[in-house]
Amino acid sequence: MSQHITIDPVTRIEGHAKITVQLDESGKVEDAHFHVTQVRGFEKFCEGRPFIEMPSLMARICGICPVSHLVASSKACDALLAIRIPPTAVKLRRIINLAQIMQSHALSFFYLSVPDLLLGMDADPTKRNIFGVLAQHPEMARDGIRLRSIGQQIIELLGGKRIHPAWVVPGGVNEPLSAEKRSQMLAMLPEAREITLRALTWFKGALSQYQEEIASFANFPSLFMGLVNDSNELEFYDGHLRIVASDGRVVAGRLDSLQYQTFIEERIENWTYLKSPFYKPLGEQEGMYRVGPLARLLVTERCGTPQADREREEFLATYGDACASSFFYHYARLIEILYASERMEMLLNDPDILSPRVRAHAEPNQLEGIGVSEAPRGTLIHHYTIDENGLIRSANLIIATGHNNLAMNRGVRQVAQYFIKDAHITDGMLNRLEAVIRAFDPCLSCSTHALGEMPLLVQVLNAEGTLVDERIR
Amino acid sequence: MSAESVKKVSVATVWLDGCSGCHMSFLDIDERLIELADVIDIVYSPLIDNKIFPEQVDLTLVEGSVSSEDDLAKIKKIREHTRLLISMGDCAVTGNVPSMRNPLGSEKILQHIYLKHAPSTIVPRLLSRVLPVHQVVSVDVFLPGCPPSADVIYYTLTELLAGREPDLINYTRFGK
Amino acid sequence: MTMSPRVKTLIIDGRDVSATETTTILQAAQEVGMFIPTLCSLEGLSLISACRLCLVEVKGVNKLLPACVTRVEEGMEVNTSSERLDSFRRTILELLFAEGNHICSICVANGHCELQTMAQRLGMDHVRVSYISPRRQVDASHRLFTLDPNRCILCTRCVRVCDEIEGAHTWDVMGRGIASRVITDLNEPWGDSTSCTSCGKCVQVCPTGALVEKGKSVAESVKHPGFLPYLKRIRGQQ
Repeated sequence: MSQHITIDPVTRIEGHAKITVQLDESGKVEDAHFHVTQVRGFEKFCEGRPFIEMPSLMARICGICPVSHLVASSKACDALLAIRIPPTAVKLRRIINLAQIMQSHALSFFYLSVPDLLLGMDADPTKRNIFGVLAQHPEMARDGIRLRSIGQQIIELLGGKRIHPAWVVPGGVNEPLSAEKRSQMLAMLPEAREITLRALTWFKGALSQYQEEIASFANFPSLFMGLVNDSNELEFYDGHLRIVASDGRVVAGRLDSLQYQTFIEERIENWTYLKSPFYKPLGEQEGMYRVGPLARLLVTERCGTPQADREREEFLATYGDACASSFFYHYARLIEILYASERMEMLLNDPDILSPRVRAHAEPNQLEGIGVSEAPRGTLIHHYTIDENGLIRSANLIIATGHNNLAMNRGVRQVAQYFIKDAHITDGMLNRLEAVIRAFDPCLSCSTHALGEMPLLVQVLNAEGTLVDERIR
Repeated sequence: MSAESVKKVSVATVWLDGCSGCHMSFLDIDERLIELADVIDIVYSPLIDNKIFPEQVDLTLVEGSVSSEDDLAKIKKIREHTRLLISMGDCAVTGNVPSMRNPLGSEKILQHIYLKHAPSTIVPRLLSRVLPVHQVVSVDVFLPGCPPSADVIYYTLTELLAGREPDLINYTRFGK
Repeated sequence: MTMSPRVKTLIIDGRDVSATETTTILQAAQEVGMFIPTLCSLEGLSLISACRLCLVEVKGVNKLLPACVTRVEEGMEVNTSSERLDSFRRTILELLFAEGNHICSICVANGHCELQTMAQRLGMDHVRVSYISPRRQVDASHRLFTLDPNRCILCTRCVRVCDEIEGAHTWDVMGRGIASRVITDLNEPWGDSTSCTSCGKCVQVCPTGALVEKGKSVAESVKHPGFLPYLKRIRGQQ
């Protein structure tokens, strides 16, 4: 009798999802899927709203990465105003964006994944959580709490509150930085670096225990996509898109993210609210790509800050051949936190960072605006059109986690086929199905959105007029 | 008195149709989580691996509005098995941003995103209207805010643990 | 022979208060620092007792009276607060919240809104009635200002200030009952109005985020209606 396994809900991720596995009569895995079970429709219900409200409205898409949406949305609104915001405002937005990278990655690593990585994938499920880590390895738990807290405190010092700060606005930010707050931030960064280096040392040592996971956790060739600056270094705020294959080939060295609709297409599936984007020029199969920390490390030629660069080089030297394994997202996340702390320090020490000129004012001057940034989980695009009065006519969002949908589904299938050999299924096997998803650190509240303006429905009918195939383009 | 001899209060946290911001605000209590862990036992939460809501929970924090059939079934079950239910955050208390789809209706939303191909298997159907939690089940404590601050969440928990009713009206409000 | 107004003495919440005979209960209470909730009344504008938040109990009268338009009388005994009144006031607020689409978290008036502040002050922290969730379009046609009817509570301060102080009478109310809404001129887009002088008084007296200046992002809309009593006095309309 063929069996159907359901894991509901998937825990220790952001948002709502299920995993299903279909086994044949002999207990072999036929297929496995990752189902996202929530959708809210931000792009539709924001129609008719004044565009100036969009950043804070879009922030409510996610409570872990509201700053990402604030930044990408504000950039789209800057485009509607057709302005260039003051340089200090750019730097301040960069800092809050990096602080979010720090706290979000710290949450993902310490709170959501360390229970598996430190206590073990097969550990007692009642203890396999942050509280279990707290009980058995308090220093690790404290490190994680503190690191996330530092990121959150920097956001709070800049924006007034930790979650959904209304500080990032079209035209810049609505308050300059004070010297007092800058000192407070600078004082916390060395500790953040120490914690990250401690975690890296431990993680690198622990990797030898995870050979099977490295081999099976969404470990397959794919494309990788991320923003880079003009020197092909890590870039979270501006820059252009770059696509690199897992064998190192540069597939697209310089893509204008404003033209995203020409190279990203999506597929709708009946069994998940999340759509599946792929790189159009290579089609659905070859065009699967991944975004996020691992992708960013692979599309860049260097991070751009000294300690992060050292760690990245060591990672590639040791695991370069196996770098297509999504297990290394965890490694990449830690390197990115290191980068964030170094880069934030540089920006805070910039001579202009305390300037009072942090906001440009204008009326809408353009009816279409696109804003792109790198969220913790990958490339994020906000695309708005407005009417003559500044009311939103349409909104399209490409969400970081969405790009990874094809890879997550394939990863779940791969893990299922690797670990489940017959009808005897252990809790540890089921946990590994979830753990591969956790490696991607998905943000599912964010992810379920529309893509594409005026999609074209193409139907193929045969001679009798019966529907043979249907595509959305 | 050792930790084992004091019976810990069982606490559950649930997110329905929310952004997880209230849960993040809860985690923003930072190191206070460590002392809380001595007196509470988190028995069900997105942060832990228990997949089944326990038979009897002392206190449940609910984030998010009721937007799908899954949410509806979940909140009814939670109400049945919990002593004190706290609506945490504006989505749970008023509907907030998810309820912005109410004037349009869920059909329009799905049509906009998926044209004629709205997913229909495995994933839960959307309700025609987004509802705040108390319009589905009875709620014991209302904790507005978007999200309510870590301090006010911590205050609420510690007051409830001490057997007192938290005085929230001066401490937080819609949109705070 | 001109008669100066007579002084009356009354009791408000057990406290002796004196006021001239043309004073309303609301004014008398405010003069001695006592709080009676209001949303539609504003010093400098005519009074219409629309919101009913200021309803008070008066001994010997079997119905509640709106304090903003009820003049003081000798020996009146007024109760401004009781379980019944508190419950009515919370219900009024709940109905106001349920009637529009009041999403505080992303509103330009968040933190500076009289409706929001009143809810907090009166202990209203959730709405028990079903939200109507009406479909209301934003009017952003004016170059400087925006009307968002989702946030309008029909206090009609905008109507009154435009009519009484600016004199343009651009704003008025159309429809009846729950279909009532504020309109500009003959229900044309505000930007097409020929009577509007763009003075912005309506924006300053609006208690919520319904009328705002363009360019204000979330939580940035702070109103300054303080000019009102001064303007009214200058125009000699005392």
